[in-house]
Amino acid sequence: MKTGRTACAMVARHIVLAAIGGLVALAGFSNAFAQTRAETLRVVTGASINTLDASMSAATRESYGISWNVYDRLATWETRKLGAGEVFDFNRMKGELAESWEVSADGRVITFRLRKDAVFHDGTPVTTEDVKWSLDRVLAQKGPAGQMATGSLTRPEQFEIVDRHTLRVTMERADRLALPNLGVVFPVIINSKLARSKAAPDDPWATKWLAENAAASGAYAVESWKPGEHIVLRRFDGWKGGPLPYFRRIIVQHVPEAATRKTLVEKGDADLATDLNPNDVMELERGGRVKVVSVPQINGFSFVAFNSRVPPYDNVKVRQALSYALPYSDMFKGAVFSRGVPLYGRKDSLPIRPEYPTPYPYETNLVKAKHLLAEAGHPNGFATTFSFNVTSASVAEPMAVLIKESLAKIGVQVEIQKLPDAQMATMVTEKKLPFFAESSFAWLPSPDYFFRIYYRGDWRWNFGSYSNAEFEKQIEEARWERDAKRYDQLVVSMVEAAFRDVPMMPLWQPAVDAVMAKEISGFTYWFHRQVDYRQLKRAR
Amino acid sequence: MIGNGQRGALLFLVRRLSAALPVLLGVAIFTFVLMRVLPGDPAIFFASGPAAGEEEIRELRAKMGLDRSIPEQLWIYFKDLASGNLGMSLTTGRPVVADIAERLPASLELALFALVIALAIALPLGVAAALSPGSILDHAVRMICTAGVSLPTFVTGLILIYVFYYLLGVAPDPTGRLNIFLIAPPSRTGFLLVDTLIAGDFATFMAALHQLALPSATMSIYVLAPIARMTRASMLAVLSSDFVRTAVAMGLGRGTVIVVYAFRNAVIPVLTTVGVVFSSMLGANVLVEKVFSWPGVGSYALDALLGSDYAPVQGFVLLMAIIFVAVNFLIDTLYSLADPRVTVE
Repeated sequence: MKTGRTACAMVARHIVLAAIGGLVALAGFSNAFAQTRAETLRVVTGASINTLDASMSAATRESYGISWNVYDRLATWETRKLGAGEVFDFNRMKGELAESWEVSADGRVITFRLRKDAVFHDGTPVTTEDVKWSLDRVLAQKGPAGQMATGSLTRPEQFEIVDRHTLRVTMERADRLALPNLGVVFPVIINSKLARSKAAPDDPWATKWLAENAAASGAYAVESWKPGEHIVLRRFDGWKGGPLPYFRRIIVQHVPEAATRKTLVEKGDADLATDLNPNDVMELERGGRVKVVSVPQINGFSFVAFNSRVPPYDNVKVRQALSYALPYSDMFKGAVFSRGVPLYGRKDSLPIRPEYPTPYPYETNLVKAKHLLAEAGHPNGFATTFSFNVTSASVAEPMAVLIKESLAKIGVQVEIQKLPDAQMATMVTEKKLPFFAESSFAWLPSPDYFFRIYYRGDWRWNFGSYSNAEFEKQIEEARWERDAKRYDQLVVSMVEAAFRDVPMMPLWQPAVDAVMAKEISGFTYWFHRQVDYRQLKRAR
Repeated sequence: MIGNGQRGALLFLVRRLSAALPVLLGVAIFTFVLMRVLPGDPAIFFASGPAAGEEEIRELRAKMGLDRSIPEQLWIYFKDLASGNLGMSLTTGRPVVADIAERLPASLELALFALVIALAIALPLGVAAALSPGSILDHAVRMICTAGVSLPTFVTGLILIYVFYYLLGVAPDPTGRLNIFLIAPPSRTGFLLVDTLIAGDFATFMAALHQLALPSATMSIYVLAPIARMTRASMLAVLSSDFVRTAVAMGLGRGTVIVVYAFRNAVIPVLTTVGVVFSSMLGANVLVEKVFSWPGVGSYALDALLGSDYAPVQGFVLLMAIIFVAVNFLIDTLYSLADPRVTVE
């Protein structure tokens, strides 16, 4: 009995001691916490980071965002004001690891000069040897190589080391997108000495190691990463690619449920979220406890597409008729709460500018729609299906209901079909859907690049299955055209054809709603649709 | 005699396992074929950007091994299974085995904790209701159970978050197993509550417990009903049986009658229910994991399923089948503890 009691007392004493220790630890923790919390940015996202190597196939967009902040590229873009926020300025590039560059008179050769003081996170200086290895590596990966090819960067021989800090890039023909392609997510500059030491005979580009480790020179270094949960970034004070960022630490946390993300931001425990539900954003904006910065996503568009290769949509008049029958303003209000830039209702009297995406000359006009439908031989309408994917349902579902209602007025019976994402992607690629909603984003907002991707070819991105030999000739010509005036003429001519043939009818450029704590500023919209932490600040 | 008993137990174990094998095999084949029959081509889904041409898609398909015939793919899958390789997840970019090894303890910890809470509440409630059927207490228990089972878990979860985190501020933010600003102890068992105690880190233990409170409450509210109802029904049947009447007539104490005679006899159907409930808590409670950002296996499998990512779904289903078999085995063993007349065969 006696020994039992003593043992009990000892255990009790241990528990009390442990509790006191715990409390002391908690107190210390909260002190340190208050100091560092202001300089820490806590971001919550719905999708998770699945790799540190953006060129891995199936890398998520969130992984692109981490790569963007952790690595440097040779060059990047300036920013400009747009609405309440900032956006990247596609027409003005600046050096990141490159101090400067020159383009030869014929446009075929770009000579980069590296910053001489730039170092990787482990202190190794950045040299052209690293740049060459990194760019060669991009070309060795199928997906990223496809992106680089859009800027005529296809062979490793095109990248030549001149000296330790000078690199020459040569193209067969001058390509307007060569330089921009060196600023996108893939061509990051990797610490080649470090990465090579981790390579294996069957993995010469160290893809396995780089998927889980970063060998970078960027503004932030990876402090810890738990796949599927969170990643912690620490500021790299030796960064030379730009002014030192404000935040010392960035925590990006995976919070799958949108309602939970909303609560966290509203409560002030999280500082920033960019993927909340549209109706939650409206509510938060009214509530006034947080700041909402809404910026149009200038390199993308939401649209409905017609499969122009199958009846009845192979008849241009049917496509035009439906484009006159869509309930544009109801959809814009009901589906996206008027956030974004409308791409419909352009006045015919305005001159067509050489840009794309641009507002189309269609608005809701049921009389005209009926007339066109009768001309096309469908005076009593027809039956069709309208599809969208599960992920976009919060926007596409109300859209589909409004479309069904409006098209019924011209006799077109719509059956709504909601598809899982992978199935939708497959059916779109196989051209099996007659009529559907999609959103798409092209990294480089150059009109000819948009037409190249969305208006030709037998692939997924030609959503309207458009096929027009004359148009394709113009796309090819525009790509290589160096005379700005002629280029603009070509673009205007292609825009006119897109208006007339409407294989897809753009609806709007959706806005990104960045919801953040009131004292945070500097949000910038980037083509990859991820947050650039380097520009954010907390004002006290 | 003792040696005989041990041999018997071993024989029993072998017999049980070999009976489970065909089931597991069937499950593996069924999931494998089902994933491939479902519409949606992962190669197309994962090809993106300007490199999503036909040639690239074909190459990606070959890389994933999807260009072979289904029997051939199945053969490769079984060869991999035999060496303990469940394949690679495309969505996380890691081996499925590693993903599951990291996420299963999170799900187990949550489900076990919730089950303990549920049992601690449901058993007394069920017994109390059975002791006075038709009383106010009985009706109250019925109401609690109906409310618990008819509220979908994500609604309960969101309500709990709203009240305890958002309004009252007593619960920590609902983001996973540990406050993001705390440092997790070195992982030994994967169970955070155990790992923190091994590391002697009491503050982190409390933090983890705090974090566990709302999701496990959400789960236990949902499973309260089946356990309490089953306890009540089973107790009612036992209480009206002859031996209980005899025991009461013989003048045994009320406590002894209820606990030793009635409850012990009533517990077998309850155990069956608990087994089923536990298995479903582990696999089917994706919504709780989603709402509380809990890094468990359920949300992992759902994400993979939506993304047409075959390997994790196959791995998950197989894992669930194995757990189901194990739980059933455990429950059968518990039967004989509860009632010596039951022998496990």
